[in-house]
Amino acid sequence: MNPLELIGLSFGALKERRLRSGLTILMVIIGSSLMTSLNGLGGGMNAFIEDQLGTLGANVLIISPSGMQAGFGPPQETGKIKLTSQTVRTIERIHGIKDVIPFFSGYAVIKSGGKEKSVQITGMDQSKLKYISPKAELESGSFVSLHDPSGIVLGHNIAYPSDLDKPFVKRGQTVSIEFTKVESEGGREKIVVERKSFQVKGILGELGDIFVDNQALVSLAAANDLFEKGGTYDGIYGITRNSEENDEVEGRIRKIYGENIGISSPKAIAETIQEVMGTFGTFISAIAAVSMFVGAVGIVTTLYTSVMERTREVGLLKAIGYGNTVILLMFLTESMTIGFLGALLGLGFGAIGAYVLIEVLPFGVGALSFSPRFLPMDLVEIFLISFVLSIVAGLYPAWRASRLSPITALRKE
Amino acid sequence: MTQRAKDGEKAFAIETHDLHKIFVAGMVKVHALRGVNMKVRNGELISVVGPSGSGKSTLLNMLGALDRPTKGKIVIDGVDIARLKDHILSVFRNRRIGFIFQTYNLINRSTVEKNVELPAIVRGMPKKLRKRRVQELLNVVGLGDKANRKPAILSGGEQQRVAIARALINDPAFILADEPTGNLDTKTGAEIENLLIQLNKERGATIVIVTHNLELADKTQRILHLRDGVIEKEIPGTTWSSGLPQINRPGDMDSAMRES
Repeated sequence: MNPLELIGLSFGALKERRLRSGLTILMVIIGSSLMTSLNGLGGGMNAFIEDQLGTLGANVLIISPSGMQAGFGPPQETGKIKLTSQTVRTIERIHGIKDVIPFFSGYAVIKSGGKEKSVQITGMDQSKLKYISPKAELESGSFVSLHDPSGIVLGHNIAYPSDLDKPFVKRGQTVSIEFTKVESEGGREKIVVERKSFQVKGILGELGDIFVDNQALVSLAAANDLFEKGGTYDGIYGITRNSEENDEVEGRIRKIYGENIGISSPKAIAETIQEVMGTFGTFISAIAAVSMFVGAVGIVTTLYTSVMERTREVGLLKAIGYGNTVILLMFLTESMTIGFLGALLGLGFGAIGAYVLIEVLPFGVGALSFSPRFLPMDLVEIFLISFVLSIVAGLYPAWRASRLSPITALRKE
Repeated sequence: MTQRAKDGEKAFAIETHDLHKIFVAGMVKVHALRGVNMKVRNGELISVVGPSGSGKSTLLNMLGALDRPTKGKIVIDGVDIARLKDHILSVFRNRRIGFIFQTYNLINRSTVEKNVELPAIVRGMPKKLRKRRVQELLNVVGLGDKANRKPAILSGGEQQRVAIARALINDPAFILADEPTGNLDTKTGAEIENLLIQLNKERGATIVIVTHNLELADKTQRILHLRDGVIEKEIPGTTWSSGLPQINRPGDMDSAMRES
């Protein structure tokens, strides 16, 4: 029998039960579009994370004071080590370390022209920024010299916030910086706001790295003064001679400080994030897989009902010479049609859905926004899974139909 | 006379030899057929009658190659069907037997044309030839202008005509009609009867009608009386005539129907 004739017969049957066929196709669409959306989001998120961490130099070790315990509630310091100039000198002498960049950091509010913005301010030797973030470059102006007490360099997103159509500040302008701290006085705590003026010396070019782009840089001395750090650094960047030596250098630092110091690297952070994302992705994929499975069950139900309703029709076809195989193929063609349309439309709706989800879900906050990314091979895979699952779902009803007796056509109602 | 009727070796469209059928339902054995011997010559129009429980339906299934006997032989168009495998039996039914049912069994979502060509599609008849044959047969049954209609909007008589055209499309060895007028009023029923008689006389179609309608049976050449699973007697139809029936031209029937 001509396959085209077979498809024609199956189409006729599906068209006769338009609503039911449509709803079943919808079930398949839901499964495959969910899979497509989540795949696109996952791909986009991975690419985003790689982009972010890729701007950091590979041969950077981030040394922080005494293993800050991250978790629920405020972070707790568990160790005893303070990062001071003594620490810097010790680390400098470790074999494999090329350079050491200590920094202070804190949050403050920048005020300019009646508007204000909360930013992270880092105090460091800016001539060494290129070691930490190799791609960071000034868009205009200059870096702040080592002892400049009132010069500031702004990240691109601070100068040109996406929610304003005019620049927030311009180079050469003076801005007011407010730092809020809690002071204890005679057993009572009170909130004190420190205010200082800074002059914008330079603006960084857009990097695509949310940390650098939203950062303000001042000199080490200015930050120490502003945040009243008293010479205790918030962290030290250790630049290794070679990124392949990172682990060995980390081991040497550990030998001196044990577990009282925190050491991480962009690579390690990326791995941790990707691990978390992977777990999240598996969970989401499981949901998508369940919805695909539900779609397949929908096909079983729809086709099985259809077979039962068409007992007489199948009986007639068998009586006039349609063999078991032809009947089986006829119903399989129906499930294939449902699967094909559902899978194909699912890809389309899924792609659109990914963009909608980014708008709806809390991923798209300001600088954290990213776009879905679809890999052609993944799409082909999703299509095939969906399509093949539909065919498998059609097997049982089709088999039942093929086993129906032609005598049913002769039965009187 | 058809080519088959002239073929001396296959003078019989159907032969049965000591046909038995026993159904087993749990502990109960039902002996539905107890040795049926019958022969239908090519070009004959015969009927099988009998009360309910006589084994009529069981015999019908055997004649239609839809079921196999427990014992005995059934030879259709020279082939012993008891030995055929299921998929061969399908092909056999497709090419050798034309079915007409009491309830027409048309597919309502498809056009008249599609319904008629169903057996030819699975046979793999080329589309051009198929369409030509469909139109030719629709003309024979008087529905030449209704190829693109859906069966649901046709009258019962017209629907049965579609079924008759469908039964003829693959030029079968014989037509097996199961209560062909059972769902029709007297007048329409008579028209279908006449159409069948006309097909037999003009085109040499071999037709077996299974019915409990004695009036219809009486118009056939021979009447086989089935009782308790055996052919009890065989008598000639009294109103069988060698001439053509009065209203038998497709055109005439069409106009007769429009008037009614």
